[in-house]
Amino acid sequence: MHNRALPYLLILPSLFLAAVVIFWPVYDLVQISTHDVSRFGQLRDFIGLANFAALADDPDFMAALWRTGLWTLSVVAGALVLSIPVAMILNSDFYGRSVARVIILLPWAVSLTMTAVVWRWALNGESGMLNSALMGLGLIDQNIQWLASAGTAFPMQVLIGILVTVPFTVTIFLGGLSSIPDDLYEAAALEGASAWQQFRTITLPLLKPFINIAIVLNMIYVFNSFPIIWVMTQGGPANSTDILVTYLYKLAFRVGKLGEASAVSLVMFAILLIFTMIYVRLAMREREA
Amino acid sequence: MLLLGISVTMSRNDNGREFMKLARWTAGLLAGLSMLAVAAQADAGEVRVTVAEYSSKTGPYFEEVKKEFEAANPGTTLKFEVVPWDVLLQKLTTDITAGTNADLSIIGTRWLIDFVQQDVAEPLDSYMTPDFKGRFIETFLSPSIMEGKTYGLPIAASARAMYYNKELFEKAGIANPPGTWTELQEDARKIKAAGAFGYGIQGKEIETDVYYYYGMWSFGTEILNKDGTSGLSTPGALEAAKLYKSMIDEGLTQPGVTSMNREDVMALFKQGKVGMMITAPFMMNQIKEEAPSLKYGVAAIPAGPTGARGTYGVTDSIIMFKNSKNKEEAWKLLDFLFSTEQRAKFTQNEGLLPVNKEEAKMDYYTKDAGLAAFTALLPEARFAPVIPGWEEIAQITSDAVQKIYLGQGEPEATLKDAAAKANGVLKK
Repeated sequence: MHNRALPYLLILPSLFLAAVVIFWPVYDLVQISTHDVSRFGQLRDFIGLANFAALADDPDFMAALWRTGLWTLSVVAGALVLSIPVAMILNSDFYGRSVARVIILLPWAVSLTMTAVVWRWALNGESGMLNSALMGLGLIDQNIQWLASAGTAFPMQVLIGILVTVPFTVTIFLGGLSSIPDDLYEAAALEGASAWQQFRTITLPLLKPFINIAIVLNMIYVFNSFPIIWVMTQGGPANSTDILVTYLYKLAFRVGKLGEASAVSLVMFAILLIFTMIYVRLAMREREA
Repeated sequence: MLLLGISVTMSRNDNGREFMKLARWTAGLLAGLSMLAVAAQADAGEVRVTVAEYSSKTGPYFEEVKKEFEAANPGTTLKFEVVPWDVLLQKLTTDITAGTNADLSIIGTRWLIDFVQQDVAEPLDSYMTPDFKGRFIETFLSPSIMEGKTYGLPIAASARAMYYNKELFEKAGIANPPGTWTELQEDARKIKAAGAFGYGIQGKEIETDVYYYYGMWSFGTEILNKDGTSGLSTPGALEAAKLYKSMIDEGLTQPGVTSMNREDVMALFKQGKVGMMITAPFMMNQIKEEAPSLKYGVAAIPAGPTGARGTYGVTDSIIMFKNSKNKEEAWKLLDFLFSTEQRAKFTQNEGLLPVNKEEAKMDYYTKDAGLAAFTALLPEARFAPVIPGWEEIAQITSDAVQKIYLGQGEPEATLKDAAAKANGVLKK
């Protein structure tokens, strides 16, 4: 009896801490989102789901919701596709590997906001580095106004999102790759398996748990990622590059609608929770099968 | 910290002695925490001030203030928190919600109505002597007066005027800066032919709406109609939108208007790439430092067909919070800050306009052609309307204007739509 209670007792402190850290803010958000709130957070009348209804009626919110999906999927998928080969190269033995690893992982050490600021300069239509580089290579004969409309701004933001997500993903995969024993490859090579066959039947299946982790963690990070889009376009022009976080920030701190902003953040919380639950379920079931 | 203390105690309660030790440790921790909490509260005689960062000179200026004021008032200590404009409103919102706001704060005067309605700003009339009130220029003090009470003092004032590049004008064969929008269009064509951008239009971030109002005011439309509804659905608003859109389409502006915030357009002007733009007096200071060889002039904002024109006047106010515990000391500091000498130092540092009558008489302002041009425009200055929800209306207008610039919406339909949205906000 004593033995069975002990583990629970031991995790109780951290469980308690996590509960306070997680549930208290959520409770607070629920309070704010179901009340009429002043710009400085003073609660007035209880208004039920009126804030959520206002969001559903807001075309900018719906657009931001879809765009968040697109943003998350493209960044996570892009980073995944790019990270697997990069991790495999960095895992193989070659001269200067440690330098190459440092170079790939270095962007991780730079603050996301700073990266975004540098890119904002680089994408400046008149004095940006990218335009002058493309001009110098003779690829364009007229400056491209990268951030002037969503058509060019959003794809660039996705690309930068991928770029900054790669280091973290590569790190996870490197850990995964180093756990695959070399003799598997040696045996496969003796049987005459090609590099592609080795990748498909050994590397990919054994890497799967790591890919799963990378997908879940990146989804959460990217879904909530604020600096890239905020620094470069503030979700503009005319809300055309807004994702939910930037839209939420504008609602709360520009316009002062704390109630609706809290509703947005609850919606985001719910989406992430449901996604994570479904995904973890699927991943678990696969492993059991 | 507190939580950790308790949880450690709970998980070890099978061992009596260990528990006592931990309990004592926890008690010590608690005592330490409560001391911290006391220390976090304002000391007697400490005045905390949240200050907006106007430029890199703002921080050093207030450091000086701290030294001088503390020397003259022993027992009072000052604590300045310098905050960038971009995050100021967010910081204040969070601070006020948590009850940890400073004693004094600089705010945009357009936010003042929210502060007054939420009852966080202290009326200053009981502190003000007639002599003190007499120091200010009326135009600049009046936006901070609401329902007959003065809630803020204008710590900074500014207006907008048109800068033009004299070299580009010469190259394009233009003698004088344009007096009307029609002339401005013609001049922009000539400057374009001479190989530069004619008229710089800001299309991103803060004041995107204001850049459009310059045109709108000239066509006789105000932000709010006389009946208190939005002016965006009037013919004047449409004329202005069409004017800007036609200039963008004709290539008379810099390309990529919606990717350029105010600083981006100013950078183009300083590089000599833009013939004309409308902005604040502080660009004169910046040109002095960053592009001293640039030959430029400052002129009035172009007039519309009826001769109407308007510039945008802005004041920032310093307010006292109702929950301040050191109001007497805080007021002393305000009195000090609004002395002629201190005002002159601050205003000239930041390239703003004088708010103080005595200060305005100084040679610095009267002998400078550029500053004189700004001061001459003041009678036509419009201030942001003092209404709750103003920030939301500004956002609605900026969004509409961006759609028009991008060609994503017909000007007429887009403006009507924006007016309807703005009216919805106004009705609340």
